[in-house]
Amino acid sequence: MIVLKHVTKTFNQGNSNEFTALKDLNVILAPNKVTVLTGPSGSGKTTALSIIGAMTKPTSGRVEIFGREITSLPERFLAQVRRTQFGFIFQHFNLIKGITALENVMIPAYPNGEPLGSLRERALSLLELFDLLPKAGSKIDWLSGGEVQRVTIARALINNPKIIIADEPTAHLDSKLSREFMDIMAKLKSEGRTIIIASHDPAVCESEAVDEAIRFRDGQILPSHACV
Amino acid sequence: MILHPAILALSIGSLMTCLMIVYAAFYGVRILRHWDLQSGSESQLMLEKKTHLVSTLMSYVFAYQLCSLFLFIFTADKITPLFVGAMCAAGTLNANGYGYPALLLKIINFILGGVWLIINYTDNRGIDYPLIKKKYQLLLLIAPLIVLEWIFQTGYFLKLSPDIITSCCGSTFGSDGSGLGSAFTVFPIMPMKVIFYATMALTGAFGLVFYLSRNPRAGFIFASMGIGTLMVSVASLISFISVYVYELPTHHCPFCILQREYGYVGYFLYLSLLGGAVGSAGVGTLISARRMQSIQEDLPRILRRLTTATLLCYLLFTGIATARMLLTDFRLEGY
Repeated sequence: MIVLKHVTKTFNQGNSNEFTALKDLNVILAPNKVTVLTGPSGSGKTTALSIIGAMTKPTSGRVEIFGREITSLPERFLAQVRRTQFGFIFQHFNLIKGITALENVMIPAYPNGEPLGSLRERALSLLELFDLLPKAGSKIDWLSGGEVQRVTIARALINNPKIIIADEPTAHLDSKLSREFMDIMAKLKSEGRTIIIASHDPAVCESEAVDEAIRFRDGQILPSHACV
Repeated sequence: MILHPAILALSIGSLMTCLMIVYAAFYGVRILRHWDLQSGSESQLMLEKKTHLVSTLMSYVFAYQLCSLFLFIFTADKITPLFVGAMCAAGTLNANGYGYPALLLKIINFILGGVWLIINYTDNRGIDYPLIKKKYQLLLLIAPLIVLEWIFQTGYFLKLSPDIITSCCGSTFGSDGSGLGSAFTVFPIMPMKVIFYATMALTGAFGLVFYLSRNPRAGFIFASMGIGTLMVSVASLISFISVYVYELPTHHCPFCILQREYGYVGYFLYLSLLGGAVGSAGVGTLISARRMQSIQEDLPRILRRLTTATLLCYLLFTGIATARMLLTDFRLEGY
């Protein structure tokens, strides 16, 4: 269970361009579910996702991940939490060009100190799971949009995280690839993972895989849980 | 005088240190008064962020503090030719009333700063800031001492004048002198040797017992013995170790050993001695935190390392001192 208690996030505090992205947010996200944070641009969904994913600290409030409070943790522990608890799928995928798909998938696991042989085996089996085994040795630059998307998902899973966080994952995908993405999310949910997606794409929000949609506007949650 | 490069470096360094520790102390007071990890208030989250900044600042401050003690002694030794009567740092420090208090404060701050770094390192191993209160209590104790040190050091450098005729170490640390330094020189050497080696042996024994058994009582005794060893070693240095270094039965100066003609052996002796004192004080401080849940995994390892470092430091000191005594033709028969 992911619990946000009275979370407020203000950027540039005390300056003339001060902006409060989240205002006293209280929300509980159920485990083993697909939750979509939806709302217009600037509504606070990406900020909320960053705080849940321990990438940003709130200005006030606390966040608990499966009973463990994470906002007070020093950075060296946060890095460990990010590495072990979360798998991230970014809007622009953030894969490293110039290296292979296999190396991209392996990168998040390097700090764990796992022997290279077994890490490579695991990365290859993940690529196989997404029908990417023939592309394992291909550089990212040579892959199609759909392949890049699946490599990103494989990379998010390399540390076997309990929670998958995806920020606008379908923003650069066509309808077919968006549906494929949501099918994969449904599969991951069935494996017991918790999925949190920030998206204003109706294809995501209206997918059957989604258990709950939380609507954001002006840094607050709207009472209606409808997608639009 | 004040334009001497080393004096300028020390003055600027100390001023910056002072400013940083005053800033840190300001947040230290706020942390001690308002810290509440259960709260998610804006002020608590701000303090959590600030404590990382303060820790980083203080790490640099105390790292500088460790170096500045030796730079201060080196500088005092280096400017010796500027004063009539001075033969080493003992004379230049005596040139006005600020020199020795500044040195004493630097030694105290060296040890306290070292202990703070140890506590800070251990605190950073825990997920819930287990030693934060202790860390900032110590910081608030050190802050006025560092400001005082800056005042005395500045006063010392500002009041240095080439017209001053100062005394040489022979009179300050001679048997005819009246200070504490002179008092050590009149101790009979043989009983002092026995006390020195017995203290070292006991400290080593308790260190080994603590290392092997992890018994907190043995740890506390070891820590106390470690601090006691520092006192005994300084007394022994003045009483008989220096005499062997100089190969002169009447010369007891603890500063001349820092000079090139004695192979800068003083720096090794003092560094090992102060290292041992910091290590043992760190052991004593950390044992009292042994029940803190979040550092249960790391604390034994840190204590073992500190114990090892302390024992190695004192072993080095004893080794250098003993080697000096054994590897010389000089013999102190009848003293």
